[in-house]
This record gives sequence, C-alpha cells and structure tokens, in this order.
Amino acid sequence: MKSSVTQLTALAALLCATSVFAKEELNLFGWSEYVPEAVLTGFTKETGIAVNFETFASNEELLAKLVAGGGNYDLVQPSDYAAELMIRQKMLAPLDAGQLPNLKNLAPDFTHRPHDPANKFTVPYMGGTVGIVVNTETVKTPIHGYADVFQAKFKDRIVVLNDNREIVSWALNTLKLPVNEINAAALAKARPVVAEWIGLIKLYDSDSPKTALLNGDVDIGIVWSGEAALLWNENKKFQYVLPAEGAHQFLDVLAIPADAKHKAAAHKFIDYILRPEVSKLISEKFPYTNPNAATRKLLSADELANPASYPAAGKLESFRDIGKAAGDIDRLMTDLKSSR
Amino acid sequence: MHAFEISHPATDRRHPRWRAWLLLAPMLVWLVAFVVVPTAILFVYSFCERDEMGRVIFSFTLENYQRVFDPIYLRVFIRSIAYAGVVTAICVVVGFPVAYCIARAREEWRQKLLLLVMVPFWTSFLIRTYAWITILKQEGLLNDLIKLLPFSVAPFDLLYTPTAVIIGLVYTYLPFMILPIFGSAEKLDIAMIEAAHDLGAGPLRVFSSVVIPLTMPGIAAGVLLVFVPAIGMFAITDLMGGARVPMIGNVIQNQFLQARDWPFGAALGMVFMGMFALTYWILLRMRRSEAIT
Repeated sequence: MKSSVTQLTALAALLCATSVFAKEELNLFGWSEYVPEAVLTGFTKETGIAVNFETFASNEELLAKLVAGGGNYDLVQPSDYAAELMIRQKMLAPLDAGQLPNLKNLAPDFTHRPHDPANKFTVPYMGGTVGIVVNTETVKTPIHGYADVFQAKFKDRIVVLNDNREIVSWALNTLKLPVNEINAAALAKARPVVAEWIGLIKLYDSDSPKTALLNGDVDIGIVWSGEAALLWNENKKFQYVLPAEGAHQFLDVLAIPADAKHKAAAHKFIDYILRPEVSKLISEKFPYTNPNAATRKLLSADELANPASYPAAGKLESFRDIGKAAGDIDRLMTDLKSSR
Repeated sequence: MHAFEISHPATDRRHPRWRAWLLLAPMLVWLVAFVVVPTAILFVYSFCERDEMGRVIFSFTLENYQRVFDPIYLRVFIRSIAYAGVVTAICVVVGFPVAYCIARAREEWRQKLLLLVMVPFWTSFLIRTYAWITILKQEGLLNDLIKLLPFSVAPFDLLYTPTAVIIGLVYTYLPFMILPIFGSAEKLDIAMIEAAHDLGAGPLRVFSSVVIPLTMPGIAAGVLLVFVPAIGMFAITDLMGGARVPMIGNVIQNQFLQARDWPFGAALGMVFMGMFALTYWILLRMRRSEAIT
C-alpha cells in the first residue's frame, strides 16, 4: 500500500507525463501502491483528461499537504477517519450524485458509514481489515486472536505494521476497551500489554510486511488484508485470520477538496472507478475488499474465495479521528520501543 | 582574506568585491532558499502550538522544548549519538587504511581505486539498502555462503537487529570517510616520513606522530561527514533494523507523518541542529588547539 520506492517512481512518472497536450487535467492525490496504472491510462484514453498522479504514504501526510497548500488537488483518497475530519473541517466539496450514475453499483454495506452518514462527500474506493496472517507450514498451533500471536514461543517470529495507532488499538481490543477513546487511562492500561508485545516483535513494516513473511524471516504477521491476500495468492500456506478480540476495518474513499479546480473531471474519474470493469482492475492488482457489488459479480471464484479480501464475518470496528491523541500514542510507543 | 587584501591596493577593492558577490550569488540564493528560510520556519514552528488537524497555530509556547528534554526523548538522542559514534569509529578504522593505500598507490591505479569507492553512488541508496536485506535475510546470500563452509556454523540471524543497522550505516557512510582522508593523505609529503625514520622513529611512532597529525584535517572532515548524518538517519533503522529501536530521525519523522505534531518535530529538529553546531564547534576548537601546540 505504501512504499517510498513507488513514491519516487510515481514522482518520476509525474515529471515525464506532462499535461501540455491535454486540454483538461485532473490532479489526483492517492495512496502509493493503490491505484493501478491501467486505470489512469484508461481514463485518459477515454476522456482525454490527463491525470497528474501524486502519492502519499499516510493519512497524516495527506492532511498536512492539504492544510499547507490545498488548491492543487482535485481528488484525494483519504481513509474513513481522515475523511471524517476533513468533512468536519469543511475541507471537502459535496458530491453531485447526478454526475455519478454508477453509484448504484456500490454494495449497501459500504455506504452511509459513520464517517459520512449522508454519503454527501465521499465514495468508497476500496476497503479492508487489519488481521493476522499465519504461515501454517511453520505455525502448527491454531491462531485465533492477538493473544495467540503474542506468545513467548513466537518471539522474533512476528511482523506487525509500523503504525503506532494500530498497535495500540490491538491492545485496547485485547483489553475490551473502545479503540476510539484514547485517553490517559486507556493508554495506561494498554501500556503493559504493548510493552510485552514489543519484546516479541521481530520487525515493524507498513510498506511491505509481506516481504518478511515470504522471505521466511517471520512466521506470523498482523498486516493490511491486501498484503495478506497477495500472500495467499502466492502460497495457500499463508492463512488470514480476523482477530477474535476485534479487528480494525478501514475504508479508503475518494473525495473532492472544497477548493478543487477541476470538479467535473473529478466526478468523471469517480464515476469511471465505479464501473465494474474498471473496479475489477483494482481488485486484480490490489486485492483489498471491493465495495462495488457489480464488480464482485465479475471477479473469479478464486478471487472471491480469498479469505483476506473477503473474510468471514468478524468483530469489526472503524477508526474515528482521535485528533491530538495521536501524539500521546506516539510518545507511548517511542517510550516502550526505546526502553527495551 | 588577509592574502586578498594584501595583494590588492585598498583603492581597487570595490571592483573585485562586486564581482565576487556576483559569483557567490547562486550559492547565496541557494543557501537562503534551502537552508536559511527552512531553518527559520522550523525555528518559528518549534515555539508554536497545533490543532487537531496538525495545523500549526501561532501562539507562543515553550512546551515543545520541555518535551524534548523528557527522558524518553533524551534516551533516544543518546542512543542515536552512541550508534553514530560506533559507526564513525568503525569508519575511521576501516576507512583510514583504505584511503591511505589509495593515496599511496601508483598514479594509474589511484584513479581506478577512487572510482571503485564512488561506484556505489551510481545506484539509488534505497536499492542498495534492499540489496543488503537480500544478503542478510535468513534465507539470504550470507547464510547460503555459510552452508558451503566445510565445518558447520549456526546461521546468522542478522537482519532486523542493531548489528544490521550498524552494517547498513557503515556501508552507507564509509565513502564519506575515505574521500576526505584520501585528500589529506595524498598531500602527505613522503619526505616527512623519511625524515622521521632517519631521526630514529619506529613505524608506530611515525604513524602516531607524523602520519596521523598530517592527515588530521581529512580525518576531522570525515568524522564530521559521517557522524552528523549518521545520527539523523532513519531509512536504514526502518528498513534494516525493522523499526524496532527508534532513533532520533525516526522520532522526528513520526511527528510529521503519524503524530500530527509539527511543532514538536520542529523543536526536536532545532535541538538536533544545535547538536550539529556543537559537534562542529568542538572539532574546530580541537583543530585550532592542535595548530597552536
């Protein structure tokens, strides 16, 4: 989902793809490793609108860029909780449903979500969960939740996302505490749990946690479901498990900044993405959960059977914006990581 | 400066000055735009507050600096300095003989050897780091080679350990130690060494009393070029160290990319920069006191 290498490549591509010849243009700011090249070129071919694609690696990076110099982007791709904050801060333009006939393709589960209850500002792009991926060739005991992962016998065999809020939320789930109420009391309770886990973790990687699993450097991971889905495609020994204690469900959306200059082009792009045959390309390249019901009919049985892309029902919860508390989480994690 | 003034009569001073400024202009513009202005922005931000979006709010506070001196972050600072110190020491020990040999090599060899030192720069830093991951990983090149040994050795488990971080840092910064030492060693007058020998000094004595002092400017420059960036490096600690042990570079990066706390990140950056200045000042004083003695 995020990698600096691809970011650099995208930048280089951006520099090469000068939009001199196209009359219309669209400035898209999206996650790295999330929008297939074929979708961008297909859109330009059909509409003549040149897409200037820039990438970010975290929601915070997106927010920072928008706050700093806003108007250059016509379409952004925040996660649900960042979109919620942007709506609250009046940073997004309301969508014109009349220009988005393909909205009808979306599965009802993915619309009217807490971040945008009225569906006024955002359209789901892809969704997913954060769950456990197990190399069943080396791990013979059943793994159901975080408690099974963080056992002494798996010391130095675990990879987790390099994302402090994620890690703390798993601890809160284990303690049966709400993941969106981050305060001093909750962090104090999470502290010993995380401290114990940190002693067992081999590495933290958000860019490509699948690499360490494929290399055999670790046997268990707590990773983005898309990464787990790719592992499963590679080898069926990599099984995906939704943590029994509760898992983070995320939805990445498309939204138009309030001061976007090419709103019509942005609507065209959203509607293009909502087409089943286009959305299918995304699922093929990045096998997250596709929110498009019409697309799912086009996916192969194998794709739909991927337990990481389309897990069985579990206890899922969305992140909400926690504002300044992100700083407290960062402080806690820095403290725990460095006192090892 | 002195030489400049002596060689030109006072009346003729204005003319070359104007020209000198013109020649300096591109560099000055560059410095102002990419060093002075960003540093000034960081300085201002470091005294500001932030809102829930991570936006910087311009109201004065010293809280960010108070937090820098929180034991948590002090420990991170100290660890970063320790790592950078170890890396610098290894670079001196490994780099000095290499630089010295290159400098003493025959002319036609010298350029080729120097080229070899610089060849790694032709490949992207990130790709070279990923190459190290391929070497050090459990089923990687290193452990494959070990299997070929006639006697059995337990496979190394190096990747994502502090050792891997040190390997990565030494690998990255070694050329920055070799090149300045080479510069000094190349200028070393062989007659000095011969003279020392003639006066009865043994090889060790020659090395410590003649070679080292005469190449000191190169060593000092190398130390500065390695130590300072090694403290702040964050990519290697993430990629090869598995982000297990936070270094100051990682902590600063997190303030901007995860914690939405730019003012605190700025304060950490300012203290960090202050440390650079201090290191430089100490080295400068060391060199000056050597010049006097």
